[in-house]
Amino acid sequence: MIRRKTAAAQPSLSERAQRVSAARKDVEARGETFYQGPSGVHLAAFPPKERWDDWVELDSRAWPRREEHHYMLVPTTCFNCESACGLLAYVDRDDLHVRKFEGNPEHPGSRGRNCAKGPATINQITDPDRILYPMHRVGERGSGQWERVSWDQALDAIAARMRAAIMEQRQNEIMVHIGRPGEDGFTERVMASWGVDGHNSHTNVCSSAGRAGYQFWMGADRPSPDHANAKVIYLISSHLETGHYFNPHAQRITEARANGAKLIVLDTRLSNTATHADYWLSPQPGSESAINLAVCQHIISTGRYNREFVRKWWNWQEYLEANHPEAPVTFEAFEDALRTIYAEFTFEYAAQESGIDAATLAEMAEVVADAGTRFSSHSWRSAAAANLGGWQITRTLILISALLGAIGTEGGLFPNAWNKFVPKPIHTPPHPGVWQELTWPMEFPLAQNELSFLLPQFLKEGRGRLDTYFIRVYNPVWTNPDGLSWMDVLSDEEKVGCFVALTPTWNESAFLADYVLPMGHGSERHDTHSYEQYDGQWLGFRQPVLRAARERLGETITDSRQVNPGEVWEENEWWIELSWRIDPDGSLGIRQYHESRAHPGEKLSVDEYYGWMFENSVPGLPERAEKEGLTPLQFMRRYGAFEISKGVGPMYEVQVPDEELRDLNVTPQGRVYTSTDKPPASNMAPVGAPEPDGQGRRPVGIDVDGVVRRGFPTPSGKLEFWSGTLAGWGWPEQAIPGYIKSHVHPDQLAPDQMVLLSTFRLPTQIHTRTGNAKWLDELAHTNPVWIHPSDAARLKVEHTGDLVRVQTDIGYFVAKAWITEGIRPGVVACSHHMGRWRTARQPGEGLGGMVATVDLDKHEDEWMMRRIKGARPYESSDPDTMRIWWSDVGVHQNLTFPVHPDPISGMHCWHQAVRVVSAKPGDRAGDIAVDSVKSRKVYEEWMANTRPAGQVSPNGLRRPTWLMRPLKPSPDTFVIHDT
Amino acid sequence: MLRDHTSQLVEESRRAPQHWELLRALGAAVLTPPPGNAEICRGLDLPVPDGAEHTGVFVLGAPPHAAIHLGPEGKLGGEGLDRVAGFWRALGLRAPEDADHLGALLMLYAELGGAESSTADVEHADHLRRSRCALLHEHIWSWAPAYLVAVQGLGIDPIGQWADLTLQVLRSEHDTADLPDQLPLALREAPEPLTATGTVDDALDALVAPVRTGMVLTQRDLQEGARLAAVGFRRGERRFALRAMLEQDPVATLDWLLGQAHRWADVHRRCGDDPTSRWWQQRAAHTAATLEQMLAGARS
Repeated sequence: MIRRKTAAAQPSLSERAQRVSAARKDVEARGETFYQGPSGVHLAAFPPKERWDDWVELDSRAWPRREEHHYMLVPTTCFNCESACGLLAYVDRDDLHVRKFEGNPEHPGSRGRNCAKGPATINQITDPDRILYPMHRVGERGSGQWERVSWDQALDAIAARMRAAIMEQRQNEIMVHIGRPGEDGFTERVMASWGVDGHNSHTNVCSSAGRAGYQFWMGADRPSPDHANAKVIYLISSHLETGHYFNPHAQRITEARANGAKLIVLDTRLSNTATHADYWLSPQPGSESAINLAVCQHIISTGRYNREFVRKWWNWQEYLEANHPEAPVTFEAFEDALRTIYAEFTFEYAAQESGIDAATLAEMAEVVADAGTRFSSHSWRSAAAANLGGWQITRTLILISALLGAIGTEGGLFPNAWNKFVPKPIHTPPHPGVWQELTWPMEFPLAQNELSFLLPQFLKEGRGRLDTYFIRVYNPVWTNPDGLSWMDVLSDEEKVGCFVALTPTWNESAFLADYVLPMGHGSERHDTHSYEQYDGQWLGFRQPVLRAARERLGETITDSRQVNPGEVWEENEWWIELSWRIDPDGSLGIRQYHESRAHPGEKLSVDEYYGWMFENSVPGLPERAEKEGLTPLQFMRRYGAFEISKGVGPMYEVQVPDEELRDLNVTPQGRVYTSTDKPPASNMAPVGAPEPDGQGRRPVGIDVDGVVRRGFPTPSGKLEFWSGTLAGWGWPEQAIPGYIKSHVHPDQLAPDQMVLLSTFRLPTQIHTRTGNAKWLDELAHTNPVWIHPSDAARLKVEHTGDLVRVQTDIGYFVAKAWITEGIRPGVVACSHHMGRWRTARQPGEGLGGMVATVDLDKHEDEWMMRRIKGARPYESSDPDTMRIWWSDVGVHQNLTFPVHPDPISGMHCWHQAVRVVSAKPGDRAGDIAVDSVKSRKVYEEWMANTRPAGQVSPNGLRRPTWLMRPLKPSPDTFVIHDT
Repeated sequence: MLRDHTSQLVEESRRAPQHWELLRALGAAVLTPPPGNAEICRGLDLPVPDGAEHTGVFVLGAPPHAAIHLGPEGKLGGEGLDRVAGFWRALGLRAPEDADHLGALLMLYAELGGAESSTADVEHADHLRRSRCALLHEHIWSWAPAYLVAVQGLGIDPIGQWADLTLQVLRSEHDTADLPDQLPLALREAPEPLTATGTVDDALDALVAPVRTGMVLTQRDLQEGARLAAVGFRRGERRFALRAMLEQDPVATLDWLLGQAHRWADVHRRCGDDPTSRWWQQRAAHTAATLEQMLAGARS
């Protein structure tokens, strides 16, 4: 019999409506989820947050028995690529082990979605070959002999060296070289506390050319494209959507496409992203600027540019004054000039340069011109990072956005600093009083980042030496061009006195270290992160998940080593401890920046560090946490992320409040300087720092049609179509967006040479960071050379899998060919990530399925690497290592690349002019040969293209002070002294 | 008269947020399986179904998708789904995977209503109201009443109560909404009804597609039909089971189907006296007439 309520008991619809609304209010007031989502219908829902303390899943392997597993779900942040996507660790309540990672639905950037690398974190933390204890080298460097030491022993020995260096004014002999960035500004502040200008990043082999293009235009060195709301999305290379911000951007591009957006991809190779494009354009490498400028020319010549935006927000007055002093300084005069500047960039010219037919370019340009302010674009690595003058590829791309007025608009392009939030920390030490010439040499006054990849050359030239050199989740031997020069200097104790590798796993560089110190993976360390992934600001929190889990159970954890495997530590605690040991009594002035504020004289704990930050520097977080009866730190430990704002909009249009407008100096171009103090700001997101006026007033805004608005953090306060910085520092011919012919332009190639693309990534790997993630290794473990069928026929490469030699300017590598129409004729390509190796005497017999064993010999100036064996099954605590079914792990092509420093951005220009020939008898896949004399010669040729500060500086300084720099030494260090 | 109508529209757009919460909760209760919908059901003063009951109805017995009821084959996806997904996109929204799921449609309806109530912009409110009414007319009322009656017939009490309440609420919405006189597109362009002249396969195709017969035949109905016709019930998809019944005893099976057609004509009549309900009633009546012909043929 069916149970029914009697009519009399039925509430009316209105009563039900009241009742259900009250129920929702009640549930949400408790911080719980009323509408939990359709997990049973499709895969879009997540465990509701109120059940994160005891989430029950059935054991699929126990089926048909119903066996429950109870989990605590603890958020953290992925530590593989830089996207910083949210993860949820499933911590088994029975034994407090992490069983798996899934997406964190509370994370505003990734929104619960992850790429393959996020869940593969479980492989990394359970990797049987990971480093669990501090180790010290015995025997000569690279000999592969190690002894386990205590953390105390390692810390005391390293701290003693550093203390001596600092006390002896040898601060420039200390350097920390960063691979995967951790928390914004954390390591920089540690070094600032030591008074050391030793921050070195990997950025000049990564994104600095892309950044330079953005910085010269808008004073922020990264873009924040609002892909989700765009009408047209224009991507130069697939790089960012398969590597950088891959997941957060890819999901938003997918949304935009579902809403009808057009996707344009410029990529010589048929990338994952290109397969989704409405227009896939496969240009001759390096011709991207010519295409961009042809699009601009179309927009200008058809009058489709946003005239009012250009008039208000470009520094056209400065352009006219500097370049057309005879012309009246009127917008009309500028428009006349604009029409002539790019007149030569016809579709026919771009077609000639790019090899793409003019009609296709014209059709694509029309799509762009119709986008209006909903035009989002991105240029990051690949083309910008690969060509001489690659930074102009970015600059010409922004020119399109700036013409359309698609800056700070819905569906447009934002400077990253508006969509990023870096909280002010508990201590902010002053910048150091020394200048590190090894990373910021005189030859590159406009370099966007440290000249990191030239360090071996500089050390060999005797420009300096390093007493203590740290690498932090970094593998310079493998990552950089000319890696064998790195082998040379890292093996030489005269050049590098003590080499410390802070790393979770073995790598080609750590094999050479004096100390190998185990650092935690994404679920074993603290950091905050904030990245520009849409028009909003969020802060993510990475944390040791077992610490948070055990704290939920009432335990007190004071050191991440209490919960991490073996003696794995986290960096924050490590740097604090090291700083205390460098300055145990505080007499060097270092310790004060690592002390508790609540308990002066005691060591700062990470709880206090983050507790202070979340309480004092993150707007809205304390109030949000209070609603749930939590402290801000508890809130972040519980949810892992917080959205600070959404829909930031065009910050440049914000009117400057009257209280900031006193004692003004307004230049004829409208730049407004004020003598009022800068209001305190909690967001420390880095931007350009335009200089004060002659009387020390700070730039506060820009007068636009009689209203003082915030403008952009550039010297002019506007978008800098014409860069006074480039013009004033020796490069007047490059001051406006233009086309620099690449070092691999056809004019530069011999008839038998081709272009090698070497930078592209696979979405399932990230540098060498994921080499110990077995699931990812199975998905992607080799890097054949892509070669077009027409080239294969010409070169007599008959079959995919045939061996070829790829000859660069300094040597060659041997690899398998992959014959495919996914690459442009005349161009070959070989992916990043692969070709990992160790010598037979180095540790790590297994090292997953990614590392080959090699013979590496040097005879006089010539190196030879011969592949002995590839990956193979091996016994370990993980039965999966016996299931490795592949042996080919690709080739380490970077070893055969000479350095190519761009004279302006300082970026290594990755593309190579190569000859591809059939392999010789006896060649094996993965073999490599390098001539270091040739390597040196190429270095010298490229260095000859530089225009050193000593020759071009307009003001006697080493570098324009407004440009960003991770550490900005004191003003006196900028002054060039005669030496 | 016009003044009264306008007043009614204004009154409608000023509905309290709680009104829309009721619709949202009814949608979420079906969209979210237990235990995630427990608080929602309690808030609605409905019994909380267990997982087996929820799955038994919404996954196995009577999936709540418009495509099944309005599509020419009585299946998920295809034209029936595309039409609904297009409506989401026309609103500038990303169509979810299950764009035609009744739960998703009710929640969308509530979203539109809530936005309509909260906007101060009269023009925008009018746009939202028209969108909401179009959603109700084209994609909810065009099939959901018959579906909800079919769910009631499954005999699973907690979900039967949800269906009762949802039908009540929809009827109330329908009575107050500003709906066009024209039939919904899916019914204007409905596929051909059941004919007596086709093959058995043709008949089977039509019998499992509600829009072609006006009948909603669930697995449970077929089991009951087999029992009444005294034939064996072969487990499988509905078309397979029905074929087996017809093959075993066509007269008894057609007789049972005829009864169903009459029953559904009556159900639609009771659903309302609007063009949509009348269309469904006529289609069921046409099916009954056709089945009578087929039965006569079978008997002879």
